[in-house]
Amino acid sequence: MDIKYGLAATFNSAKDLYDAAGKIREEGFTNWECYTPIPVHGLDAQMGVGRSKVPCFTLAGGVTGFFTGMLIVWYMNSFDYPLIVGGKPYFSPIFPFPVYYELTILFAAFGTLFGMFFLNRLPQHNHPTFEHPHFGRTGDDKFMIVIEVEDPKFDDEETQDFLKKVGGKSVTMIREPID
Amino acid sequence: MSSAESTENKFDLSTKLLGGSFLGLGIGLIGLVTGLSSGEKEPFIGWLWGCAFWLSIAIGMLMLVMIFRVFNSQWTPVVRRQLEHGLAAFPWLALCFAPLLLIALFGGENSGILWSWVNPESPTYAPPHLHNEEVSTVGDDVLHQKKSGYLNIYFFSFRLILYFGIFCGLSHWMRKVSFTQDKDGDPNWTHLGLKISAAGIPAAALALTFGAFDLFMSLEYQWFSTMYGVWFFASGIRAALAVTIIGCLYLSTKGSLKGLYKQAHQYDLACLSLAFTVFWAYVSFSQYFLIYSANIPEETFWYTIREINPNTGERSGWFWVSMGLIFGHFFFPFLYLLFYRNKIVGPRLIFIVCWILVFHLLDLYWNIIPGREINPGAFIGYEARGVWGTHLFWGLATLVGAGCLCAWAVLRSFQSKVAEDIPIRDPRILDSINYHE
Repeated sequence: MDIKYGLAATFNSAKDLYDAAGKIREEGFTNWECYTPIPVHGLDAQMGVGRSKVPCFTLAGGVTGFFTGMLIVWYMNSFDYPLIVGGKPYFSPIFPFPVYYELTILFAAFGTLFGMFFLNRLPQHNHPTFEHPHFGRTGDDKFMIVIEVEDPKFDDEETQDFLKKVGGKSVTMIREPID
Repeated sequence: MSSAESTENKFDLSTKLLGGSFLGLGIGLIGLVTGLSSGEKEPFIGWLWGCAFWLSIAIGMLMLVMIFRVFNSQWTPVVRRQLEHGLAAFPWLALCFAPLLLIALFGGENSGILWSWVNPESPTYAPPHLHNEEVSTVGDDVLHQKKSGYLNIYFFSFRLILYFGIFCGLSHWMRKVSFTQDKDGDPNWTHLGLKISAAGIPAAALALTFGAFDLFMSLEYQWFSTMYGVWFFASGIRAALAVTIIGCLYLSTKGSLKGLYKQAHQYDLACLSLAFTVFWAYVSFSQYFLIYSANIPEETFWYTIREINPNTGERSGWFWVSMGLIFGHFFFPFLYLLFYRNKIVGPRLIFIVCWILVFHLLDLYWNIIPGREINPGAFIGYEARGVWGTHLFWGLATLVGAGCLCAWAVLRSFQSKVAEDIPIRDPRILDSINYHE
């Protein structure tokens, strides 16, 4: 058994792909992706993809880390077991600052890493596009665009014609096997 | 606008700047002369503060140019050329600092008016257990005797000349390798620039570190901090980046960088600003943190007089300046610059870099102005200089004067046609103008 995943179209050059991506964006598709063997500058903007949301996770992690550090110091040094060290106050923003700072960095790094995993839906051990017989060539000399069936504007016939019209070669339906 | 008219306008601006520098430095010099006859320290410390601001910017620019050279990164040439024009200010800055050195050398009984250690007769602070009714002098102070091999006027003069020699020499070569390449296109200039920078970075780093020790830290010669040079470096780079961003954004909207200075360049400069905001805070806080933790009187007084009136224990105006620096010079720019839009939208970035420049000026004020004025009648043996005082007036006059002089020198370099608007024959120039985020 298998289900339809999306329509794939290949392109021979970065320029062809770039132009096609602009047309697809203008047409209003949302669930689609470009696969290229090399980085193509400006493709994000051409596809209408916004900035990554990872920094939000980084900031949230950093703020959490900062206050976690404060809480640890306050709880241990000032609340649970008050202890005078070096004539300094039980709790102060100054002498234990390295603790706040290190936890800010640590939690910000966790936020970045796990935020990236979360947004990219990782770990993901397989992807339906791998079913395409020539998908490997997008790591070599081919450029590919895949429009998913999930896309609200998707229509078997029309999308196929549209991909051909924007210059896509060998438009094929990718089928995702299910048990 | 016809070209003749526009030349005339430029001429006007240049003349205005020169006039401003004569006016500002003239007022400052009047202050120095009156201060020399009355023995008041205020005009001198104000002069030092006013000139320090521009010196820090120029040093930051020099370091950035050499760092750009050494990293040989693709985005920098377009920006680097503007900084190279900025380096034209160095010889004039040396001139601005000359009066202070001359007074230290030839000031006679007032030679120690700014740097008290210059004159062994200057009154100085001695800890209470060494008090014996009379005012201690620098010559009696064991803390100076032990340092006199370094802190003596001859070695000091030699060092100041050496520092400015290093700064002026490196700026001259940085300008020469870049400007000559415009004419002959020889890639060997790039290699030579790289080699000079590789040798120049440690040389300039040492010069700026010991320069900060000599010019600013030695105002209170009993105090010492190994972080001080790094603090000055971080501050200088922050200020230089701020000026660079303002200049490049101006040139890209009104002048020669239209279409050449792109969002990607601005984003990278803003990211560097963010990085050095954090670095400045790291260094400044570390200095405070170590002194706070060790809690040794020889060191802590430096922060005490920046927080309280040492004779009464009440908070002084410096407390609010200190708080202003923590929140205004670090937390606010740091949080502001974290956001992508604030780095790429021109007016938003201009706002924060102007903010950084104002607080950089305040940071220098906070570092240079406070000091101990020996007063045997005071409870603790000295009074701490206040936030407000005539030093602010003399300082602002010098600030404007030295600023106009530097701006005039930089404008002259821009207008002299010694170089193209961008380094057109730099091997990296195509990468730089096509730079993309």
